[in-house]
Amino acid sequence: MTPMRESNPPPETDKLRPHSFDGIQEYDKRLPNWWLVTLYATIIFWVGYWFYYERAHLGPSNTAAVEQQLAVIEAARLAAAPSLDDASLWKMSRNPVFVDAGRATFETICASCHTKELTGAIGPNLVDRLWIHGGRPMEIYATVTNGVLVKGMPSWGPVLGPKKVSEAVAYILSHHHEGEPIEVQAAWVPPPPK
Amino acid sequence: MSSPIMPGQKTTIEYNDRIVRMFLLATVIWGAVGMLVGVIVAAQLNFWQLNFSQAFLTFGRLRPLHTNAVIFAFVGNMMFAGVYYSTQRLVKARLASDFLSNLHFWGWQLIIVAAAITLPLGLTRGKEYAELIWPINIAVVLIWVVFAVNFFWTLARRREPALYVALWFYIATIVTVAMLYIVNHLSIPTSLLHSYPVFSGVQDALVQWWYGHNAVAFFLTTPILGIMYYFLPKAAERPVYSYRLSVVHFWSLVFVYIWAGPHHLLNTALPGWLQNLGMTFSLMLWAPSWGGMLNGLLTLRGAWHKLRTDPVLKFFAAAVTFYGMSTFEGPLLAIKSVNALAHYTDWIIGHVHAGTLGWNGFMAAGMIYWLLPRLWNKPLHSTGLANLHFWIGTVGILLYVAAMWTSGITQGLMLSATTEHGTVLVYPNFLDTLITIRPMLLMRLIGGGLYLTGWILLVYNVVRTLRGALPVNGTIEVYDEAPAPDSRLGLGAMFAGAPTVFSLLAVGFGTMWMLGTDLVSTLGLAGAVACLIAGYALIPSRGRKWAGWYEKLLLNALPFTLLTFFAVVAGGLIQIIPTVLVQRAQNVEDRIQVPYTPLELAGRDLYIREGCYLCHSQMIRTLVPDVLRYGDYSRLGESIYDHPFQWGSKRSGPDLAREGGKYPNIWHLRHMEDPRSISAGSIMPNYPWLLAHPLDASTLPAKIKVQRLLGVPYGPLSAQQIFDQVDEQAKGIARDLRAAGGYVAQDREIIALIAYLQKLGKSVPVPPKAAALP
Repeated sequence: MTPMRESNPPPETDKLRPHSFDGIQEYDKRLPNWWLVTLYATIIFWVGYWFYYERAHLGPSNTAAVEQQLAVIEAARLAAAPSLDDASLWKMSRNPVFVDAGRATFETICASCHTKELTGAIGPNLVDRLWIHGGRPMEIYATVTNGVLVKGMPSWGPVLGPKKVSEAVAYILSHHHEGEPIEVQAAWVPPPPK
Repeated sequence: MSSPIMPGQKTTIEYNDRIVRMFLLATVIWGAVGMLVGVIVAAQLNFWQLNFSQAFLTFGRLRPLHTNAVIFAFVGNMMFAGVYYSTQRLVKARLASDFLSNLHFWGWQLIIVAAAITLPLGLTRGKEYAELIWPINIAVVLIWVVFAVNFFWTLARRREPALYVALWFYIATIVTVAMLYIVNHLSIPTSLLHSYPVFSGVQDALVQWWYGHNAVAFFLTTPILGIMYYFLPKAAERPVYSYRLSVVHFWSLVFVYIWAGPHHLLNTALPGWLQNLGMTFSLMLWAPSWGGMLNGLLTLRGAWHKLRTDPVLKFFAAAVTFYGMSTFEGPLLAIKSVNALAHYTDWIIGHVHAGTLGWNGFMAAGMIYWLLPRLWNKPLHSTGLANLHFWIGTVGILLYVAAMWTSGITQGLMLSATTEHGTVLVYPNFLDTLITIRPMLLMRLIGGGLYLTGWILLVYNVVRTLRGALPVNGTIEVYDEAPAPDSRLGLGAMFAGAPTVFSLLAVGFGTMWMLGTDLVSTLGLAGAVACLIAGYALIPSRGRKWAGWYEKLLLNALPFTLLTFFAVVAGGLIQIIPTVLVQRAQNVEDRIQVPYTPLELAGRDLYIREGCYLCHSQMIRTLVPDVLRYGDYSRLGESIYDHPFQWGSKRSGPDLAREGGKYPNIWHLRHMEDPRSISAGSIMPNYPWLLAHPLDASTLPAKIKVQRLLGVPYGPLSAQQIFDQVDEQAKGIARDLRAAGGYVAQDREIIALIAYLQKLGKSVPVPPKAAALP
């Protein structure tokens, strides 16, 4: 503010209004131009914005915009979907780059139910030979991606994307060996809490 | 008084300064309490252990205590002290009634005490800044009426014919707060301590933020602007910069403010036209707000050198500067794209505190330091301490605000960061973002602590000043004059005045253009343009006459008050009435909520009791990062039966709109018992009492009766049927928990809460209906 340097009263040309209230007097200075310009500019913006979105419907609505963006994302995902099969997941599970990336995802997301040791708590044990929704690599991949909502397994595909899911699956598979027996279990019975 | 003294009977008036002293001391005390609770809740966000696993000490119950204490107890008492002190002097009359003044004071303190008891007990309406239960709401309205009667009665007895600008702001405050408070608190009681709001879902959201935003406007801003217009020129001993700026910014402020409420609901399921109104009117609010700042700062012309020595002026100058800063930040945050990043984050908390700590707190401090010597006829104990208060407080605010900006922007960016061509979130785990901002939360605690320390210095200064001081009441000698010829503006002349007519026409035509269908809209546009041209053309010849009309208006309080009411009522009517009148079914897009079972409803009331909505939203916005993280965006119909709505305003934890069915029951049990056993690094409190307390289902029949009355499609259930349904559902959940190793009796509160959480996001598709409104 410029008045910082100003310790003298303002010029006498500033006319005071005749009346005073409990000793308070008032000047009647003009409104600053920049202030008026700000006021008018925001009003003009309102008119233009309202015309653009609400009268002429030139811009998309919120929902139309997000639907369009989501369609683009879905297309990109479909195009980038890795062609996975059991063999390639097994191969990834022996590759330290994939396994390390998978461990990071597992420990921030999955470990809260399956524990960092993968031995299970709220969610089932992932290092034994018992599987509820199938123990073949692509079955595990499907379980993580789509979830099993009735059993409380969230669908992680939309949140993590195919790359992170395949890494996490590779990390789980790194605790197993190709060809080991798979037994089907009906439901997981968690250990009693510590 | 500059007018010549007329011969007449001389009388001496003694002002009622006793009531000012009472409100002033209440301000000092409640300020300390409210800020202390603020520091406590800030500490709880850093150290979850400070929730002590005690129901009445948890964040969710103390946070409403903090907000209600600082808004209604601290700023409320400060406002009453300032209004009563200045009004008596501006109208040269003692407050109309000592009885009403005392009733006002003690009634208000009683309300505060009632709030301080009920909120920690979990008795709440579940709407922000409108948490107090219905019997207290009625008390608030009654005491506000006492305030209004006392104020307007004093105006009626005034010896000063014209109303000074401070009084305009007081009038706007009294009228508007009454309107907002009553509408947002319309409820139907289910018991002495509990009620459901009459509005639900989107209607409730709209009414809530029409109220919430304008509580900021008309409780924290307009009365304090009025106080600024009295105390700042008094302390600076300088004339107010510009009368015409006062006129323009007063009317534009009170008119525009009301429309801006929907900016709290941008990118949500709120209909788009309301969002666009909220955003554009928020931008138009920028200049009117800065009008107040300019009139404050420029009044200091010629007095800036006094800032070096006078703590009062330091506080006022800084307060007005913070006011300018936060009223620039407000419109910025109301821009949809900025809001997409900042909403639900700490940036909003920083914005609010720049206003409350900077503007409200510093105006209060300046006013208190200025009033103390005048009300107790003794110099301030220590000017040095007051200066120290100023510097500690300023550093505190700056630390606080900078920490919250950094935290909010960091978290906002992390939450919306995507990778792999925008298809995947970089930080899918919400906790990663929370852990990143933890140092900023600590910085905020330090800033808030410093601010509280400054206030404690004020308390000490007040105590030392008061020691041995004798209260003194202001007096003035007046001459009872023969009544002057009545040149006041009557009601008819008010309505027929060109400024009124032009304003009404412009608002009417503007609304037709905005919301009308083709022909109405075109007519509205033509009318608005005609108004603009006519107004512009007439100003050179009629401007002086219109100024005279306004000066006559200032002589008559009733037409002035009515005009103010018209100005504030317009925005609310145009936004709320269409939304409320539209049939519920037409508010529904493609999905409609499945009503809660009795057990789920009981769980929902527990969710509200524990204040979960203060950290968890239930609104997935129409934004890609929200959809990627939480699932499909929320539809209007999905909260259509929610009395009150729980869309939330802050995400200290993740959104819960689609939480239902995401995790097994056992996950919720373990998580409520000890969140860190599931989510390492969580700052959520433990809720062990939910596992220990039995659910009080006996209130359910009364609650469901009220829900039916409000239009929620419950069948005619007998009490026994309700209890049977509760039993059956609870038994199922307990059985499922047992199978998973969780042993909880089926009558515990946690069972109901789990039932509710598992219901979140459950809806059924409905055939699409044509929307009835733009």
